[in-house]
Amino acid sequence: MDDNLEHPHASSKPSLAQDRPPEDDEQSSADEDEGPDWTKLPTVARPIIPKRGEKDFEPKTSGGSGLQRHVLDRARSAMADALRATRTTSSKTISYAVWHPDIARANVTVARGIHFTTMGHSVARASAPGKNDDVKTAKRLELLPEEALYLVERGAMFCWKEIDLYEDPNLEGMDGAPMSVQQAFAEMIGKEDLTLEKYHVYAYLRRLGYVVTRTQPPSDAYPVAAPFKMPPVPRSSIWARCFAVLLSPFRRLLTMLRRRDWWRPVYLGRRLHHNLNNPSLFRALRFLPSGNDAPFRIKRKEEDSPYQIFYNLYKPSTPFKKTSPPAPDFSLVVVNARTTPMPTLAELHDLFEILPEVAPPGPRRRTAQPNKPVPPIEKPQPAANLPLFRRLFSWAYSGVLTPAPTPPRRPNPFAVLKQGKKMVVIAAVDAGTISFFRFGQGAFEDFPMN
Amino acid sequence: MGEDISRKIELRVSNHKAYVWDVNDLATLRAEHHICGVLTGTLPHLSQQNVFLGVPLVLLPEEVVLLVRKQLAVLVDDPNAHRQPSPSELLRWNAERISSTKIQLAATEAKEAQQRESTRTMSEEAMRKRKQREEKRAAAARAKAIAEGADPDSLPAESPAMEERPNTPPGGVAGGPSAVYAVTVPAESTELEWYSPQSATYTTLEDAKVAGVWSYPSTLHERAKCAVFQDLWEKGHFMGVGIKFGGDFLVYPGDPLRYHSHFVATVHESPEFAIRPMEIVAHGRLGTATKKAHLLCGYDEGKQEVSYYSIEWAGFG
Repeated sequence: MDDNLEHPHASSKPSLAQDRPPEDDEQSSADEDEGPDWTKLPTVARPIIPKRGEKDFEPKTSGGSGLQRHVLDRARSAMADALRATRTTSSKTISYAVWHPDIARANVTVARGIHFTTMGHSVARASAPGKNDDVKTAKRLELLPEEALYLVERGAMFCWKEIDLYEDPNLEGMDGAPMSVQQAFAEMIGKEDLTLEKYHVYAYLRRLGYVVTRTQPPSDAYPVAAPFKMPPVPRSSIWARCFAVLLSPFRRLLTMLRRRDWWRPVYLGRRLHHNLNNPSLFRALRFLPSGNDAPFRIKRKEEDSPYQIFYNLYKPSTPFKKTSPPAPDFSLVVVNARTTPMPTLAELHDLFEILPEVAPPGPRRRTAQPNKPVPPIEKPQPAANLPLFRRLFSWAYSGVLTPAPTPPRRPNPFAVLKQGKKMVVIAAVDAGTISFFRFGQGAFEDFPMN
Repeated sequence: MGEDISRKIELRVSNHKAYVWDVNDLATLRAEHHICGVLTGTLPHLSQQNVFLGVPLVLLPEEVVLLVRKQLAVLVDDPNAHRQPSPSELLRWNAERISSTKIQLAATEAKEAQQRESTRTMSEEAMRKRKQREEKRAAAARAKAIAEGADPDSLPAESPAMEERPNTPPGGVAGGPSAVYAVTVPAESTELEWYSPQSATYTTLEDAKVAGVWSYPSTLHERAKCAVFQDLWEKGHFMGVGIKFGGDFLVYPGDPLRYHSHFVATVHESPEFAIRPMEIVAHGRLGTATKKAHLLCGYDEGKQEVSYYSIEWAGFG
């Protein structure tokens, strides 16, 4: 049996879901249906993920053959054994927290382990109000319900529930009533907009190593990523603007001169044929506005849409700082698949309105360079940082200083179209089964196919 | 597994979701009642993967409705079943915790002593030599000090043997800063003395609905889903979630642990429900590609009947 086990190693960790045996074409579609084979799960605490097992087509009549029944019983008891494993953690690594139901936060009293580099936020709370008249505020580490529940479920944290403790020397070391995992599920879900669906998605992604934070801060103390930068509006001082107005005729003249192709000074074809090439002809014929920037006129329903971005998602490789999170790698919407229909055009439009444009996919590399990240597009240096003189006379510099940039290679339009200009991930959860969908905003107007 | 079938299984309900926490209950549900649910929890010793998940088992609402209607299970309003522990209960819990810690520490101590015993023969020689070296060095230092005119009595005597320093004393819970013991986070609330599900148990769906604990099914479509689920279950099939295959349910001939599903079922809430041709093509395509047949299940609420039609590609040409 051991040869069926494979040792996961660091390099292949993110692609755990793909670690299943390479399916041939016949099998590929049935593999989602192929449940995990619990008999191959080792009972000892070893981080080994067994491959998925084979299944039969159907049981023989009268409840299966003897062999089938034996194999089924073995699978069932292996599953039960694995499920009976207790959450036992060394006293040196376990963290402690106190759950406050009234504010829906867990206050971490003992923080141990790597989890707290990406979870929890510090809040200034009045410490022990009522005892003295002068209320002191002290910073403390607090967890959102999903964070606390995840740590408790993993067995990485012991949670007390806040109660009025009686002064008793025998209760030393207790900060409240001890909570079971079951109690944490019953009491933490439903607080602070957390639904079971959202918790499932949170735990699923955390187990894979992603960093997950809320998009809307539940309180002022919760650090969130800066809102996405919309297309930057160049802001300059009033003087610069006055100069710009004065200089604009000269500038226009200069650009005209510069645009002129001096290598072919007498190229007149365009003027003669009145721009009669296909793209410009089609452009002239179009009387309806096209593209995603065109104003959107659809009567929308008044009620709140379930399609709201709830989680920000960071890849494990993204450097993440808890106090000032960077812009997220993905924005995630969580919906209940049983009650929520497909997003309407208006809902998608609203989602894309607040999302940034994603970088176009990089050119495909022939050489095997696995997991090479797409280089981020270079941001143009904002004009405000340049010295005034250069800002004013940027038209003069632009031709001189930047030595004729080589035109960027036109990306493969199909890759860009497939990825979309903007992207949102929607997780549809049906009773514990999560399906992730990626919705992209196609930019067909950027790639006319003529 | 089949210890006491007459005992009703407790489904712990919170936020209108039903969980099963007891592994024995889970096994009974699967083996006796052909109810699988969906495992959703993190396995404590394999917490960085999503292939194998652990308790809690989340049941589909249709499964809950079926189990309660068949009198196989009762609903427990879980948030209200956790009452405030009394002082004596807390005292007992803490005493148990301390004693368990002490037992663990004592066991560790005994184990360590045994290990020391086994390694003593190896290290005794080395220790003796080191001691000799230290004594020699101390003697040399003292001789030097005396030679410089110091009072020999004021000098520190040879320190007592270092290796006799006591190991972690099994005194209190803390037991010294280096004491390591295991802390267990209880999974089920039944491990807590003050968990009392009896006071918050509902045996019928109607009672639970009045109490605001459970409201499924409340629409025609939900009733149709429950009826289809129950009908197929009574025919002896195992049922699973069908969302990955574009349907409401997957229909298995036996336990999904061992067998592939044969059908993807979609529920239609009335016999006159319109189906577009596009859906038939999509279902046929997906079903064929995944070696399943698509099952159209129509529910007639007037007659309380379910009728079935399956779609497969005919495969001409």
